Amino acid sequence: MQIARRRVIVGHLIVLAGGALIGWFYSHVDWGLLAAALLALGWNVRQLLVFEQAVREKNFRHFRYGEGIWSQLFSRFSYQRGQSKQYKKNYRRLVKEVRKSTNAMPDGGIILNNEFEILLCNKAAQRLAGFRRRQDKGQRVDNILRDPAFGAYLSSGDFKEGVEIRSSVDADGWLICRIVPYGADQLLLLIQDITERRRLTTTRREFVANASHELRSPLTVVSGYLDTMASDPDIPAHWGRPLEQMQAQANRMNKIVAELLELSRLEGAGAAPTDELIDVCGIIASVKKSMDGQSDVPEIRVECQSDAQLFGSNAEIESVIVNLLTNAIRYTPHDGQVTLRWAADEDGAELAVTDTGDGIEPEHIPRLTERFFRVDAGRSRDDGGVGLGLAIVKHILERHDSHLEIESQPGAGSRFSCHFGSDRVNVPSSKNFKHAQR
Amino acid sequence: MEASDITDHISKRFNKDLEDLRNSVLTMGGLVETQLSKAIAAIVRGDSALGLKVANDDYKVNNLEVNIDEECSRILATRAPAAGDLRLIVAIIKTITDLERIGDEAEKIGFLASKLAVMDRPPDSYRELKNLGNHVLQMLRDAMNAFARLDVAASLDVVKEDEEVDAEYEAIARQGITFMMENPHNIKRVMNVTWVARALERIGDHSKNICEYVIYMVEGRDVRHTDIVESGDVSSD
Repeated sequence: MQIARRRVIVGHLIVLAGGALIGWFYSHVDWGLLAAALLALGWNVRQLLVFEQAVREKNFRHFRYGEGIWSQLFSRFSYQRGQSKQYKKNYRRLVKEVRKSTNAMPDGGIILNNEFEILLCNKAAQRLAGFRRRQDKGQRVDNILRDPAFGAYLSSGDFKEGVEIRSSVDADGWLICRIVPYGADQLLLLIQDITERRRLTTTRREFVANASHELRSPLTVVSGYLDTMASDPDIPAHWGRPLEQMQAQANRMNKIVAELLELSRLEGAGAAPTDELIDVCGIIASVKKSMDGQSDVPEIRVECQSDAQLFGSNAEIESVIVNLLTNAIRYTPHDGQVTLRWAADEDGAELAVTDTGDGIEPEHIPRLTERFFRVDAGRSRDDGGVGLGLAIVKHILERHDSHLEIESQPGAGSRFSCHFGSDRVNVPSSKNFKHAQR
Repeated sequence: MEASDITDHISKRFNKDLEDLRNSVLTMGGLVETQLSKAIAAIVRGDSALGLKVANDDYKVNNLEVNIDEECSRILATRAPAAGDLRLIVAIIKTITDLERIGDEAEKIGFLASKLAVMDRPPDSYRELKNLGNHVLQMLRDAMNAFARLDVAASLDVVKEDEEVDAEYEAIARQGITFMMENPHNIKRVMNVTWVARALERIGDHSKNICEYVIYMVEGRDVRHTDIVESGDVSSD
């Protein structure tokens, strides 16, 4: 490069000097210089025109006129052009590969900007949710996926979990949509087909409901005859004990079947009614009364700190209280204490059952609401429980827009509580709180 | 006119106003679609609680209509839009009226579903209503998609579809008459079924109207009460 530059400068100087020398020879130095300058200019213009033509025609193969620094310029330009062509080709291939792999994905993927406008979508998104790759570019995603639940999900800004919506393509289909933020201000919307999963859940639920239902009639016959036999004075005395046990087991089975049926009913039902008012304190009082007569139970304290009422299903809330209370009593020694508390604040109301019983190891707490789960497998089931109580409580609370919270300290006791939002709670205007009744 | 043409003004606020307006019409469409799909599910499953929920939720559709209407008046008054923008606003004002009517029909279907749920159910659990309902729901979805994409070709398809819906309604009505003649005991139930079918058929008509507004909005041609399907000269897209 340095040599070429020097040669250009030296070459031009020699031409000019030659012109001046010839002019001096004819005693017209100025004319000689002018002629030399014109010569140099003509040569440069010619090179420039050739260069321009080569660029215009994109043909760099023949630089017949490329000389000196111009030929270097030509070859450098042509080389860089070829290289950028190669880069472009590589990029195009890469983009094609990426697109191919995203199109091969079974789940729909859509790239959105932070205004929720569609930038890119793959084939599965077109198939699952009816997007169109070219037409929908720049369209807001909720203009195509118009389910109100999805719109609420987008505007909530909370993308930790997905949202389940009905498919707009398949009448019986269900989709789960989830937003994953990534990069600078970009979002990835993932759409997954969960029709099959939902169908399986429904099938399982129906199976449990049908099986329980089918078990009911034979059980009625068995326990009916058992009752008759137990009260028959002609039955020999040594049959007394077996009959008693058979009766107890038949009763237990009846209870299991009834609770399984209740559970599958709760699973299938939507939200609890919002027009029925429940007097929670009244229920607590009546439940306590029914327990009072029993011997060897721990002391039950009632703290009704509010006369707030709840919107929901009366029978179900009673079932929650009974289940939590019997559970607490079962795991609390006779000299212990169980407290039922109902209190309201500005965000709603809270129902809590606290005991001073054995407590629960932390690793068991998440599994407590599973069906038939027992903390202590060795502990016999003949204490009256069937292992479905907390599962029922969990489902009832879900129906009432609430959930069960469990805190426990092994050896010190446990606290089962649930919080109801203010839209489910009705606080009467007269504020006559009944404080800490016994 | 392309979807992006709407947002092509010097005033950014105006762009945003128009874009928000369009989005809220589609939100309203989504709500109406959900109402209709729930109402159909209530009929098919005999779920009276779901039917009543649909009937009770109709106020949400009405509220949206009022809000969008107000916003349209505000834009007309403050911006005095012309040409494509004016057509957009006019089309929106008409579209939301039809959407609100569809909401009313869905409310009616939900209410009838709660009444039908406590009556005898035919062994096919109203398959013909389910088919008609899904057909009409698809029409409504296609109409809203065409509105979102300003798609004239898709609008024309929906307009054509309406004839099939009318034929299906005729078939259900005729079948109902046969049932009633066979056994007068059926009259009360079949009357309700016919009302549902009638409501669904009306929803088909409203969806067709929405598509005609889309054609008007994009092409500036009023194709109501003309045989646009046969003449086919609007398909110049």
